[in-house]
Amino acid sequence: MVNGCGTGGNRKIITMITFDKVTKKFPLGNTALSDVSFEIDDKQFVFLVGQSGAGKTSILKMITQEIVPTSGSIIVDDFDITDKNFSQKIDLRRKIGIIFQDFKVLSDKNVFENVAVSLKVLGIDHSEIKNKVNKALDLVALSKKEMVFPVQLSAGELQRVAIARAIVGDRDIIIADEPTGNLDPKTSWDIMKIFKKLEGKKTIIIATHNTDIVNSFQKRVLVLQEGKIIKDQRKGGYEL
Amino acid sequence: MKDIWTSIRRTPYQSFSAFLILFFTLFLTLILFVSLTFLYGTLNYLETKPQVTVYFQNKTPENNIFKVRDELMGSGKVSNIKYISKNDAYNIYKQLNKDNPLLLEMVSADILPPSLEIYAKKPIYLPEIAEYLKKQGDIDEVQYEKDIIDKLLVLTNTTRMAALIFFSYLILMSIVVLTTMILFKIALKESEIILLKLIGATNFYIRKPYIMESLFLGITASTLSFGIFSLIVLYFNPFLQSYFKGITDLSVDVFNYNLTIWPLNYIFFSIIFVSISLFGAVISSVASYIATNKYLRV
Repeated sequence: MVNGCGTGGNRKIITMITFDKVTKKFPLGNTALSDVSFEIDDKQFVFLVGQSGAGKTSILKMITQEIVPTSGSIIVDDFDITDKNFSQKIDLRRKIGIIFQDFKVLSDKNVFENVAVSLKVLGIDHSEIKNKVNKALDLVALSKKEMVFPVQLSAGELQRVAIARAIVGDRDIIIADEPTGNLDPKTSWDIMKIFKKLEGKKTIIIATHNTDIVNSFQKRVLVLQEGKIIKDQRKGGYEL
Repeated sequence: MKDIWTSIRRTPYQSFSAFLILFFTLFLTLILFVSLTFLYGTLNYLETKPQVTVYFQNKTPENNIFKVRDELMGSGKVSNIKYISKNDAYNIYKQLNKDNPLLLEMVSADILPPSLEIYAKKPIYLPEIAEYLKKQGDIDEVQYEKDIIDKLLVLTNTTRMAALIFFSYLILMSIVVLTTMILFKIALKESEIILLKLIGATNFYIRKPYIMESLFLGITASTLSFGIFSLIVLYFNPFLQSYFKGITDLSVDVFNYNLTIWPLNYIFFSIIFVSISLFGAVISSVASYIATNKYLRV
């Protein structure tokens, strides 16, 4: 994490994610991101907004190193992930919990197993896994359904499983790509309430184009358009 | 073990298909392996049979014969030399013609030549030994079955080459077919593998369950193949007994260890079991390693 001096008094602000002049061009010539720079502080809650194709998902995929930028530099926590010699992809990903629009819940595993997988990859002890999974399921209100298989769950419940999986490993950063994209308005609000509970505990980045949710949260908003950041509002909403 | 069983239970058809392919491959390998081992054993046995017989002139002193014998033994190409003196030759003659007194009366020890029966370490040395003997003095005649030796040499070399090619093909075929089968199985888990990669799983963590399951299937298939093969061998044992009648011992050289393969014995069967289990484990784990590689590039 990068330490820096905050603007408000002497409080130390720790930067968790830094994008510096990041550009991503795909081989066929289309540009996903163009000269994008921003910083996200530790435990900050940030919305990435913009229309489809604006570059929201590209930013998230770069944070997890699913794709690499054509130019520019990205620093996540202590990792300079654009360094040519960077070889700690696994360590980087172990700091990040990911939530997808299509949930990516494993159909042949029950709720408990789906959440536990996030701890198993970290090599955590079996007894500890049980405790941590139970706590995470409590947080997303799925304790009574730990033995249920995904086929028996609603879309909202599936997304709650995905959130439990993302938060269970004490990961520092939670990124969510359109977490309410496949959900009805009421369920979307239920899901967002879970994110609200995590506020101040994790660095949370949510890519969405749900204006109602963004406006009601009154958190930092990065607005993207055609691969560029056109607005960086520290607090407040936006309009598409 | 619980995870392996759960995985098999959740994708039973793919697991069963992989098992059948493994079973077929291993059973075929087992039959080929044992057949080739017996062929090698038989060739080794036959290789000890061809010999050069050299007949010396009647009045050759024994010292001259022993000198030739010692020189041959010192060459490193001869496994054994048997000296047949005039009296030994006469005794053999008497034994062979004991029912024909007329023939016995006509021959005495004086007219039978002394000889050496020479057993080469390998058939390839026999022509060389024969040529060497022809150049010596006191030699009356050198006999050896050139055609049989040549055919044996050709058969040995052809068998070795055919075995090498066939085994290479069998291993390649097994790995390709198994990889494809496991790929079918893993394709269903593509999204799981990608997810695991994104949440920080190591490649070994992702591969481990597939390799463990393949190992389990490989060892189960090899055990079943071995069991069925053993039953077949036991069933045909009386036939084998009559087929190898007269041959007291067949063996092959395995890393300088002389392994007896006939009569059938526990050591030979144990080595077969260990070999086929290792072969099954190796091809199944190599196939699953290759198959998982495809999805680990996220």
